[in-house]
Formats: sequence, C-alpha cells, structure tokens
Amino acid sequence: MAEAIYRKPVAFAVLATVVVLVGTVATMVYPMVRADMHPRVDGLKPLTALELAGRDVYQREGCMGCHTQTVRPLPSEVERYGGSRAQEKGARYSIAGEFAFDHPFLWGSKRTGPDLAFEGWLKPASWHAPHLASPQAVEPRSNMPRYAFLSERGIDGAEMQAHMRALRTVGVPYSDEEIAAAPAALQGKTEMDGLVAYLASLGKAVDRGAAAAVGEARLDLKNPKAGDALAVSRGQALFAENCAVCHGADARGTPDVAPSLVDDVFLGVKGDMPDGAYLAFIKGGSDEKKALGRPGMEAGGMPPFAGQLKDDDIWSIIAFLRQAPRP
Amino acid sequence: MSDYRYDHRTVQGFILSAIFWGVVGILVGLLISVQLWQPAANFPPWLTYGRLRPVHTNGLAFGLGVGAIFGLSYWIVMRLCKRPLLFPRLARVQLWLFNLGIAAAAVSLLAGYTQSNEYAELEWPLDIAIVVLWVMFAVNVFGTIIKRREEQMYVSLWYVMATVVAVAVLYLVNNLSIPAGPLKSYHLFAGVNSANVQWWYGHNAVGFVFTTPILAMFYYFLPKSTGLPIYSHRLSIVAFWSLIFAYLWTGAHHLVYTPLPDWLQTLAIVFTIFLIAPSWGSVVNGYYTVGQDWSKMRSSYLTKFFVLGITFYGLQTVQGPTQALRVVSQLIHFTDWVPGHVHMGTMGWVALTVCASVYYVIPRIYGTEIYSERIANAHFWLVLVGQLLFSLTMWITGVRQGWMWKATDAEGKLVYRNFTDTLAGNYPFWQVRTLAGVIFAVGMLFFVYNVLMTIRKGRAFEAEAAPAPVAASAA
Repeated sequence: MAEAIYRKPVAFAVLATVVVLVGTVATMVYPMVRADMHPRVDGLKPLTALELAGRDVYQREGCMGCHTQTVRPLPSEVERYGGSRAQEKGARYSIAGEFAFDHPFLWGSKRTGPDLAFEGWLKPASWHAPHLASPQAVEPRSNMPRYAFLSERGIDGAEMQAHMRALRTVGVPYSDEEIAAAPAALQGKTEMDGLVAYLASLGKAVDRGAAAAVGEARLDLKNPKAGDALAVSRGQALFAENCAVCHGADARGTPDVAPSLVDDVFLGVKGDMPDGAYLAFIKGGSDEKKALGRPGMEAGGMPPFAGQLKDDDIWSIIAFLRQAPRP
Repeated sequence: MSDYRYDHRTVQGFILSAIFWGVVGILVGLLISVQLWQPAANFPPWLTYGRLRPVHTNGLAFGLGVGAIFGLSYWIVMRLCKRPLLFPRLARVQLWLFNLGIAAAAVSLLAGYTQSNEYAELEWPLDIAIVVLWVMFAVNVFGTIIKRREEQMYVSLWYVMATVVAVAVLYLVNNLSIPAGPLKSYHLFAGVNSANVQWWYGHNAVGFVFTTPILAMFYYFLPKSTGLPIYSHRLSIVAFWSLIFAYLWTGAHHLVYTPLPDWLQTLAIVFTIFLIAPSWGSVVNGYYTVGQDWSKMRSSYLTKFFVLGITFYGLQTVQGPTQALRVVSQLIHFTDWVPGHVHMGTMGWVALTVCASVYYVIPRIYGTEIYSERIANAHFWLVLVGQLLFSLTMWITGVRQGWMWKATDAEGKLVYRNFTDTLAGNYPFWQVRTLAGVIFAVGMLFFVYNVLMTIRKGRAFEAEAAPAPVAASAA
C-alpha cells in the first residue's frame, strides 16, 4: 500500500534517492556520455604555462564574479564583442569546442564588467597591464578593484608544473617537454604577466580576426573617402567607438598602451604611411605591422579589425585621422 | 512532561552558530554592495569584491542556512519521532566541526583558495570536511527516525530525508576534482560538461538547501505556531514527490544561450515551467491552512512571517520559471535582475521562515515566552521593507541595463557601444540597494537581540527545570 512508505524510513530514503536520480541521470549523467558534450575545435591548444598561471590568478581573484566568458548568439552581443561578421557562423559567438580544456568552465553568471570570451581579439596586452593596475586611471567610471599587487608577485615554476600534471590527468594534453620547459618560461615573470597573457589568449582558439591575409597589403591603394566630409564625420564616430579606448579620444595615444596617430613618428619612423598600409594595418592588426617590416611591441598590440569593420568604414576612419588636428 | 530530554543545547548551539555566521554574511554583503558603486572600498588583495562575494554566498548558504537546517531539523526530527537524537554526542561534535569548518572556509576564501564553481567554491580539503559533517547529520537523522516512537512519518520528515540524500548526491558529484596542490584543484569535468554538472549542482543546491529543508520547517512550525492543521495531506504528498522529481531536471536553465546543447536547455526550461505546480502545491496548502482562521494573522505574531514567507516562495517560483524562458533570459540574464530574484528567495522566503522557526523554538527550550513581540514585529516590517526595496531596485536596473546592452540603431549598430555607459547607470540603483541592505540588516539585528534576550530570560528558569534522566533507547 502506498501509505506504508511513510512508515518505513529506509524504503522512503531509497525511493526518494531514486526519484532525484531520474532527472540527474537524464540531464547530467546521460549527456556526459554523448559526443555533443565533448566537442573540440580543430587546433585547440592547451594554455601555455604562463597563460595557465594567469588563469589560476583569474580564478583566485574571483574575476568570474563580475566577468562572463560566453558570448551568446544574439545580434547585439555579437556586435558588442566583435564576433566576426566576415567569418563563418561559429566564429560569431562562443562555441562548445573552444572550452574543451577548461577545468572548470569559467563562463560566470553575472556581467558587472564586460564579457571576456573574445578578449584576446579586443584589447592588446599593452592595454591590460595598466588597466589591471589601476582601472580608474584608464576608465574613470569603472568600479573594478585595483590589481597592482599582481606585479609584485612571482610565479613558482614547480607549482605550475604540478598544476599542468594535474590537468594532464584529467585530459589536457600537456607533453613532458612542455611541463619540463615551464620553469624556464616562467623565469622572472609576474602574476600580472600571467593574467595579461591569459586574457590575450581568450577566444583565440577560433579565428575571429582578420579576413584579409596578413602580408598582402596593397600599398598603391588610395583612400576613396579622402576629403569626403560625410565620411570624415562617420570616421570620427567609428573612431570613438572602436579606437579611442586605446588611442585616446583625440587620437594622441595613451602612454604605454597605444601610440599617437596624429604625430609624425607613427610606427616608429618619421613620416606617415601610405593609405594602403593604413588599411592593411587596421584590418590585420599587429601581425600586419611585422609583415610591413615595422618593429612592433613584443606582445603584439593592435588587434585586427577586419572582422568588425567594413573596408568603407576603415577608409572613413583614415579620412578622419588624416585631417584630425595635429598636436 | 516527557520521560526523556531533548538535545536542546545542540539545537540552540546550531541556531546561535547560524545567527553568528548570518551576521558575518550580512555584513560582508553590505561591504560588497558598497564596493559595487565605490571601488575605493576594495582593499586588495584580501578584501576585494572578487574574493568577498563567495564569502557572502557561502557564509549565508552554509553558515546561516545549513547551520539553521542542522539545528531546526534536529528539533523537528526529535519532536516528530518523540525521542532524543540517537547519537547526541555525535551531534555535539558535529556542532564544533561545523563552526571550525565555516571559519576555515571563510579564511580560505579570503586567501583566494577557490574552485570557482558557484556555491562549490571551497577547495578539496574543506569539501572532505563538509562530507564528514553531512554524514554525521545523516547518521543522526536516519538513526533517530529509524528508532522513532511515532509510527507515521510527518511531511517535514520527508523533506528532511530528501534533503539529506539529495545534497549528498549533488555535493559529491560536483566537487569531484583533481588535486593539484594542498589547496588547489581542477574540476574533473571540462568545458560545457563542467558547466552542466555545475549548474545541475548549483540549481539544486538552491532546491535542497533553500527549498526542501525550509519547507520542512514550514510544514512543521506553521501548524505548531497557529494551532491549525495542514489543509491537505494529499496535496502535501503530491507536491513533495513532484517537487523532488522535477527539480533535478532544471539546472541547465542557468545556461540558456550558452554553448550547452540546445536540447538540454529546452528540456530544463520545460521542467522549470512544470516546477511551478509542485511549488504552488505547498503555497496553496499554506494559504488554505491559515485560511481556516485568518484571525491568526492578528492573534499569533508568527503567522505573518510564515504567510509572507510562503508568499515570497510563491512569487519566487513563478518568477524563476519566467526567467528560464529564452525570450526573457536573453534580456535579463547576466544582469542585476538575477541577484534581485535570488534575494527575494533568501531575504524573503528563507529568512522569514527560518527566523519564525527560531522564534518558535528558542522560548520553548526554556519553557518561556519570546522576550518581545514588539521587537519581533519591528523585525518583520524592517526585513520586509528591506527585501522589497532590494529586489525591486535590482529588477529595475537589471531590465534597464539589459535593454542598454541590446539597444541597436537601424543599421544594427549598438547605441551604447561603451560598456561603461551601461555600467555607470547602475550606481544610483546600487546605492539604493545598499540602503535596502542596511534596512534589512537592522531588522536582523532586532531579531538577534530578541533571541539573545529570550535566552537570557530563559536561563532564569533553567535551574528550576529539573531534567529527567535520558532514556536513550527505550522501546
């Protein structure tokens, strides 16, 4: 009789356990044995020792309390986080296969600060370090705590080797050589270096960057928008949206982050670049700089914008910069 | 009087411990609420928002919540089984271990030792301690129930037993991780699978810490404090089984629009909608119980705590399923709406029900009356106003910011391209939230004062109450 169960605690407990296990098996255990829970994008690489050290810092400081790491397939979100419109669909938002080595996932649940899933494409390392040290110095209205103390803390190579070994036991494919090389790679690095390297790695498993091949700049191209007043004002607005965060609202640069675009020593040489080089550089980012034979910062710097800006938009920005007031 | 003595000191010990950790958790909550609009209130490295938030959530979920669950479940189990705990000394050891564990948990979180999964932040050595604690609890609960002196098991015992088994399953699976050092580990699961396991746990931690044991209290203390029997036994049965069945399917509604497979998201959404029914089974049962005599709202001061508590439970369990819908999720997910939702459940349903249960229990330990009904009434109105102001403010700013994130012009360009533009508008709302938190905290201090003064008053009677010898295993 059904009523008897309310007089038999052991039978009751067994039945209650079975009842809670039904949903558990259906939604937690069963998915685990399905392939769609274990995808991996082609060419996914484990984090380097330095990036992993940075991820450990990210966990320790509770960054996921305020930052999510998953760009949802919503048009406004793809737009905000620079999911490439030029790329295949999967590059526009976060996809499962990018996270195959994430133990645990760090998607977070609250977006007090912006999403960081594509951060590697959005901001250069040279922006992150000063911002982490003093967020309000870079973004005055920010509510983020200061993490300057990370620059004073070293990374223990032996400890990171233990972390890499632990991750290898749960399936992250670190080779013996990579683990052996970790202490040397971490020599003299700070936790700040690690965190910046980790942020720069985010979203990079999928190509969300330049559609144009780096190194194929056509230096003979002329700006079709040159002198076009409408394009200049549009370029000014686009500059404020996309470029001012690093290069400053007046394009005169931010110390240690990004150079001035309106002086005559841009790219480390006297004089200016031809229009075609400008276009290629904005589309391809720092890698293009090296292809153009110009020295760049070691950690990169300029992210590629080909995925976010159409050629006409970039020409408008160039048109704006060409006639922006010189210091 | 009975011929045996209940383990009142253990019950009171857990209640006072829960209150202590509750005060700590609320104060940390106030501090992090200020940090959100005033970054200078962060003191790196130990006292930053990132490290303090888990102290707030763990302190209140495990310190206040689980502490109160231990104490009040023991009270309920003893009364409904008509016997003392089977292992009274084990319960005392559990009390001390509990406090040591929560203290160690707080320090370890401040020091930055975390597994990063929400409500499962504690690192692996502490996880082991928590498993030991839970086994102690389970042994005493089941031991006492098996050796009970009342044949029929009342509804509250069902909920306590379901809590014991479900939390054990949830906690053990989600905390499976591979140690990488004395206080560092990595989740056994990776990527989307890790996310799915975590939110299967995370959602059901809410279900089996903030719902089932609180319902156990509700079903026991509401009839006790009003003298009104539960309206429908059959409804209790249907609501119980359907609740514990449906809850476990719903975790993935926390992952709507993430890379988690769509079919899992949809399945979770469907079961989440279904969950309204068993939740409201208890709501209806509660209302009809008091409906037998609404004058209890005036004549018995605890009735309004329970009625408002179950009201917020009812609102919570409609709002939650609404949020799971994709069309709603895409607007409010990741915004302040969600903390607004959570705090209606915790500051409304959980806090009101737990406080009322404590008000019921503490005077009865000493055979006395509550120190002051007036203070209890002031406490009630303060926490009610504080909680409503908190949640309403968060819902408004959540929708406001969600809308700003989405706003695009005719060309598909974002209207608020700069994220900080959408953030800075939160600050005035967050200042109001801090004010709401202060009002709530003052209300809770009234509660603490009232409880302590009741104990003080009760101790005067203690000498007179000659304890009968313990009859540990009388048939």
